[in-house]
Amino acid sequence: MDYILSIVVLAGINMIAVLGLSIFTGFTGLFSLGHAAFVGVGAYTSAILTYYYYVPFPLALLAGSAAAGLVSLIIGIPTLRAKLRSDYFAIAILGFGEALRVILENLEITNGARGLPGIDSFTTLPIVIFCLGGGILVARNFLRSRWGAACIAIREDPIAAEMAGVRLFQTRLLSLVVSAVYCGLSGGLLAHFLSFIQPVMFTLIQSTQLLAAVIAGGMGSLSGPLIASFVFIALPEALRVAQIWRLVAYGLLLVLIMVYRPQGLMGYSEISSFFSKNRSRERMQP
Amino acid sequence: MFLQTLITGLSIGGIYALMAVGYSLVFSVLNFSNFAHGAVIMLGAYVGLALATKLSLGFGLVLAGSIAGAGIIAVLNERLAYSSLRRRKAPSLYLMISAMGCAVFLENLVYATIGSRFYAFPEFFGRQIVTLGESSVSLLDVGAFVFALAAILGLHLFISRTRTGIAIRAGVSDMTMCSLMGVDLDRLISIVFLLAGGFAGVAGVFLGIKYLVYPTMGWVTNKAYIAAVIGGLGSLPGALAGGLILGVVETFVSVYISSVMRDVFSFTLLIAFLVLRPNGLLGRDSEEKV
Amino acid sequence: MTTPTPLLSVRGLTRDFGGIRAVDSFSFDVPEGSITGIIGPNGAGKTTVFNLITGVYRPTAGDILFKGEPIGGHRPDRIVRAGIARTFQNIRLFNRRSCLENVLTPLLQREKSNFFAALAGTPSARRTERSLREKAFDLLTSLGLDAFAPLQANTLPYGLQRKLEIARALATNPSLLLLDEPAAGMNPEETRSLARLIAEVREKFNVTILLIEHHMDLVMNICSPVIVINFGALLAEGTPDEVRANPDVVAAYLGKGRKGK
Repeated sequence: MDYILSIVVLAGINMIAVLGLSIFTGFTGLFSLGHAAFVGVGAYTSAILTYYYYVPFPLALLAGSAAAGLVSLIIGIPTLRAKLRSDYFAIAILGFGEALRVILENLEITNGARGLPGIDSFTTLPIVIFCLGGGILVARNFLRSRWGAACIAIREDPIAAEMAGVRLFQTRLLSLVVSAVYCGLSGGLLAHFLSFIQPVMFTLIQSTQLLAAVIAGGMGSLSGPLIASFVFIALPEALRVAQIWRLVAYGLLLVLIMVYRPQGLMGYSEISSFFSKNRSRERMQP
Repeated sequence: MFLQTLITGLSIGGIYALMAVGYSLVFSVLNFSNFAHGAVIMLGAYVGLALATKLSLGFGLVLAGSIAGAGIIAVLNERLAYSSLRRRKAPSLYLMISAMGCAVFLENLVYATIGSRFYAFPEFFGRQIVTLGESSVSLLDVGAFVFALAAILGLHLFISRTRTGIAIRAGVSDMTMCSLMGVDLDRLISIVFLLAGGFAGVAGVFLGIKYLVYPTMGWVTNKAYIAAVIGGLGSLPGALAGGLILGVVETFVSVYISSVMRDVFSFTLLIAFLVLRPNGLLGRDSEEKV
Repeated sequence: MTTPTPLLSVRGLTRDFGGIRAVDSFSFDVPEGSITGIIGPNGAGKTTVFNLITGVYRPTAGDILFKGEPIGGHRPDRIVRAGIARTFQNIRLFNRRSCLENVLTPLLQREKSNFFAALAGTPSARRTERSLREKAFDLLTSLGLDAFAPLQANTLPYGLQRKLEIARALATNPSLLLLDEPAAGMNPEETRSLARLIAEVREKFNVTILLIEHHMDLVMNICSPVIVINFGALLAEGTPDEVRANPDVVAAYLGKGRKGK
């Protein structure tokens, strides 16, 4: 039972990060190979606060999320202002994520590459459910707001979006910060669930897994990536597949999706639309 | 001290350059960052290792075998993971993600089947040292450096002098036009990947001899890609210049500042070039193909 | 001559691409309330002029004055807020969004709303959203697109996509509307109904219209003044009759190419 519980909690925590990346990638159309770094920032910030400074857990979570959002500005401002090619942007953020990991590995306060043990395990299933539920609600509200509409407009056509009055740079930056905040929250929950964190938990491999969940689940969908994320975490755990074979599968999956179904499982539609009558409008080639 | 650092930097840079050539070759024709190249380098090293240890072949045959093996792997990689994307003119980002998938897949496959053990090549060159004034350098480093220069020069001549090379250059400037002119695009791209793979084989063997052979030796965050960006993705002289510059600068940073800062510095350099000078030092102007 | 200040005034506009001068010290005025037409052979630089006015490109030289204020080189979204909207030659809709959302997007951008209230989904944020949705629907209705409101934009037939693009442009509340080849790919019947629509839009939304067109009869019927551009430079300007009678224009259209020089 404990084992199942821990799978569910881990999947829930991962889903929060995927939710954030989905806003950035699925709805704003920018690809990132570095979002695990924001999970790391959230994890370390919140863990350091509760571990060294006895800050209450909810406050530490908030601080971790905020720190991730702030850190995302460092990479977001120069790269998004420069309007980089989309693949260069993904690479720049990859480089940033790796640089951040190297820094985490060499700071005194993070206890370096050995990692930070003995973090209080405050994260419980109800807290995760609360955060995930709240996260989904906020994401839905965001996407319906003027900012969300602006994000989607940019994904569809940046030039037309500008001619609809959308501020390109500010909107993209906002989307990055929002997604980083989600990742930071996810990291804070993760640190206080595992009670041990280490820089190698927040590398390019993890970033690729997050991106794989968003792409496999479907661009422009919240429910698709959430389902994919749950399946990615829960299925191999349940089948007790060795970590290494999971990575083999992730890699293969990314290639197969790109080759055969780049719109992903639920590209540009939500699970709810499968239960309503007009389900004919999905399946557009991006 | 200064000269020693410079020489060490150049020898590392030579290997970076050998690795970077593959990124640049593929980028110059298909306009995307082939992150799987690092995995091909790694597989090339394993092929060479198998030939050297299981069949006890000499250095020349090991190198030839590794070039052939990695070349074939690179061609297969293109056929299986990129060709259909390329034909339907998918955004270069999709190709890059597919390449990332290949890298994760191949590397972990090796991890899962062969294991994470570090393997060493037999000592082809012994531990011979060449002395230059007050500083010394291993024969291997000199060999790698000279070989890198020769190979890149050879490639440059191939591309600028031979019929196939000229077709590749035509493909670089306009793929659609090229196919209209009756050039077999698939064959051309296979040749490009064969060349890139060949260089991966060479790089894998030298890298494996200098350091060791292990699954993550060619991982994406290896510095070769950064070298290619600095020199200008898609430019062969750029790959050489980028590799040497990065090798030297990195070595100086780690000697005179700190070895921790070295990696942070390299990644910062990567971001700075992407933002400020995305065509690198010697790259051509390349707009994203939408 | 022109007594009131023109709504848009372009002076010595120049734009180079590499070594090629696409627009060459081009000057013209768009009088307030007019339907001004720009015509010219293919590759004359018409769309480049639109891209310069709307901030997609920066001018190499020259001034663009809108309501007397210089806007040359400003960011597109700022120019939109100043009151210039446009459509595109190769339709650029938000393809995977519904028709309603296409029109709603610019309406939302004009709204000053509180970010955190929107995230929390407060009643007032919901009210604003609902009222804007109604406004978007009204706008679709006024262009006869209300029946298509929930449909995904790229599922509409071509002619309606053009109309939807006009609706989206109007949603930015412009005083100047730029139409880039609105009749491209239309048959004579559709072109005539488009002409009616353009006249109607000008009345109903109180906008000045500047349009690029290849369909001569459309331009000659509804536009005045007409501006002729060739090789990026002004060739002729005047009423349709004046332009038609201009020997330079006749020469350009009969393919004699660049004259003089």
